[in-house]
Amino acid sequence: MSIIQRAAWVSAVGISIVVGASSVHAGEVRLGGAGATFPAPLYTKWVAEYEKVEPGVKIDYRSIGSGGGVKAITDKTVAFGASDAPLTKKEIEALGGEDKIVQFPAVIGGVVPAYNVPGLSQPLNFSGDVLADIFMGKISSWDDPRLQELNSGVNLPKLAITPAFRTDGSGTTHVFTSYLATQSPSFKGEVGAGKQVKWPLGQGGKGNEGVAAVIQQTAGSIGYIEQNYAVANKIAYGAVRNKAGKFILATPETMSIAGEGAAATLKGTVLRADIWDQPGDKTYPISAFTYIILHKDLSNLKTDAEAKALVGFLTWATGSGQKFATDMDYAPLSSGVKIAVDNALATLTHNGKPLK
Amino acid sequence: MTTDVSAISAAALSPNASSGDARSQHRSFRLGDALLGLVCRGSAAIIALMLGALVLVLLTSAMPAIKQFGLGFLVSSEWRVNELERPVKDAAGHVVMEEGEVVMETIKPAFGALPVIYGTAVSSLIALVVAVPLSLGAALFLVRVAPTLRLAGPLSFLIEFLAAIPSLAYGIWGLFVLAPFLQSRVGPAIQATLENVPGLRWLFYETVTIAGKAVERPIPITGRDMLCGSLVLAIMILPIVTSVSRDVLKAVPRTQIEGTLALGATWWQSCVAMLRYGRSGLFGAVMLGLARAAGETMAITMVIGNNNQINPSPFAPAQTMASLLANEFAEASEGLHQASLLYVALVLLVMSLLFNIIARRLVVGRASPAGH
Repeated sequence: MSIIQRAAWVSAVGISIVVGASSVHAGEVRLGGAGATFPAPLYTKWVAEYEKVEPGVKIDYRSIGSGGGVKAITDKTVAFGASDAPLTKKEIEALGGEDKIVQFPAVIGGVVPAYNVPGLSQPLNFSGDVLADIFMGKISSWDDPRLQELNSGVNLPKLAITPAFRTDGSGTTHVFTSYLATQSPSFKGEVGAGKQVKWPLGQGGKGNEGVAAVIQQTAGSIGYIEQNYAVANKIAYGAVRNKAGKFILATPETMSIAGEGAAATLKGTVLRADIWDQPGDKTYPISAFTYIILHKDLSNLKTDAEAKALVGFLTWATGSGQKFATDMDYAPLSSGVKIAVDNALATLTHNGKPLK
Repeated sequence: MTTDVSAISAAALSPNASSGDARSQHRSFRLGDALLGLVCRGSAAIIALMLGALVLVLLTSAMPAIKQFGLGFLVSSEWRVNELERPVKDAAGHVVMEEGEVVMETIKPAFGALPVIYGTAVSSLIALVVAVPLSLGAALFLVRVAPTLRLAGPLSFLIEFLAAIPSLAYGIWGLFVLAPFLQSRVGPAIQATLENVPGLRWLFYETVTIAGKAVERPIPITGRDMLCGSLVLAIMILPIVTSVSRDVLKAVPRTQIEGTLALGATWWQSCVAMLRYGRSGLFGAVMLGLARAAGETMAITMVIGNNNQINPSPFAPAQTMASLLANEFAEASEGLHQASLLYVALVLLVMSLLFNIIARRLVVGRASPAGH
């Protein structure tokens, strides 16, 4: 059922591009993108705002999931693909190797421990090892001494903890489990990290909304969701202890700082950096980039005008477009990261000709 | 129905029926007949082809998983998509070191369908246990009581209306009404009554393996669990079981009922005789309900808790084959994960086919002779 749905989406995107190219009005360019669902609200906002800047450029972004985005760009059915996880070695090979691809971070997101504990007036404090032990069932009640130690002065209730997790493969799970694996050797060995893992206990939900439903309905539950989803739906979430030992709440600023810490490591055209557990006093520790993927030679686009329009849009999105990120509770790219992105974008060509 | 159509077609096709005058007319009809025949045969063939193609596609795309796991897939309970990397431990449980470094092992992803087969079987069975007595009662009422009260029409309409409600609506109702009710009222009430009854501890406590040690912990009652899933399923299969049972009971010859009454049976005894006469047809109705319960997807995904585990307690979250597919398929990476999900789909398809075949044999095999 879903394979058909996915195929239909991908082919619909493909068709829309073919149709778009053939029915271009004078001076109008149509481009298609597909992939990750997490940044989709922001990408849609960018598209709408960019039309005010460049009325001739129409972009259509379909949130079909990160896996679908990678497949669509590999099959050249879209102008750009989007993925929460950076390309794997295998995916890079399928795309023709490192020197045929441009991958860069578009914006930063954070994963927060969101919970439903009645009678609390302030955000709870967590640490990586305590979160790992909660999700493994080692800490099973909210009044556990280890939680109490992190939250001195808070009257924690004697209430069973119900962990809530994502049942679908997702970048959110990838970021959360990768972070916990760095914090707890036993979590790494028994649960491990990945887009989808086998949780030893708890309730599953599909998508951020599925996990949010479990949290909102179940007293004593704790789950992991995207920070902006938690804010938009007014779900309480806690601060997490960072590498410097400070308890930090996820905000656009604290997540953005995590990205800046990795700016120095972003080199070449395939940019990637794991930005969880970064050093710094104000760094939120469960942050991650979400990526856009392009063919380095944009021969998947028909005309020079299309290629130039795409580069124009992406340069704007990672530059002035970042101010919309903060409004929507994503974290903007810092200046160091933006320089690396611009350098990568400068290498793009169309049928061998440079675009800048 | 069947007899009517065959009678008409027999009359139309019989060459002896046409007189000399009508013969030329008959001939001119032949082209149309041939075309209609072709279209009908073609349509019938397409249905068979579609089913064949479905099985074939599922088989070929599930092949990597079938080759890798074989039938062991059906009895293995590990479902882990990610690879694990952990230190090798020796027999004494110590970490193995070599040249000052910890030796690591990589554990490949594993896929086994037992938890979802268990979840499907148990949730469907509980649903049947709840729904079948209600359905039979409703069907008996519709056949024996309702006509005298002029209620048969409106009630039948209501039941068919229930069947037409999209499963998503049942799911949302289950999630926002039934689950909170089970969590705040029913669950705690059952727990307070039964918790200290010896031998029933498994209802409220689970044993979790934490860091190699078995630890007993209370199951948090969340309302989204096997019980809630089964109850929503029960409500969803009520209409189909009721309407098929009603048709089966309607097909019981009047002579049978009058016979029992003539022998002095009470109303109750004559109803029992009616149920007994239609028993294989009724069993077929139950099998149809079972097929629907086993294949139900959206509603159950919303209320069953979605945890791939085998836990005997109805208060623990579970997972069915259909909900597993709904949860994981869209984002499943190609390769073994996707193939394993398709293997599950294949098992579900074969199971549903079996239920349907059994049901058809029982319903058609019994009900139609009574109709003659």
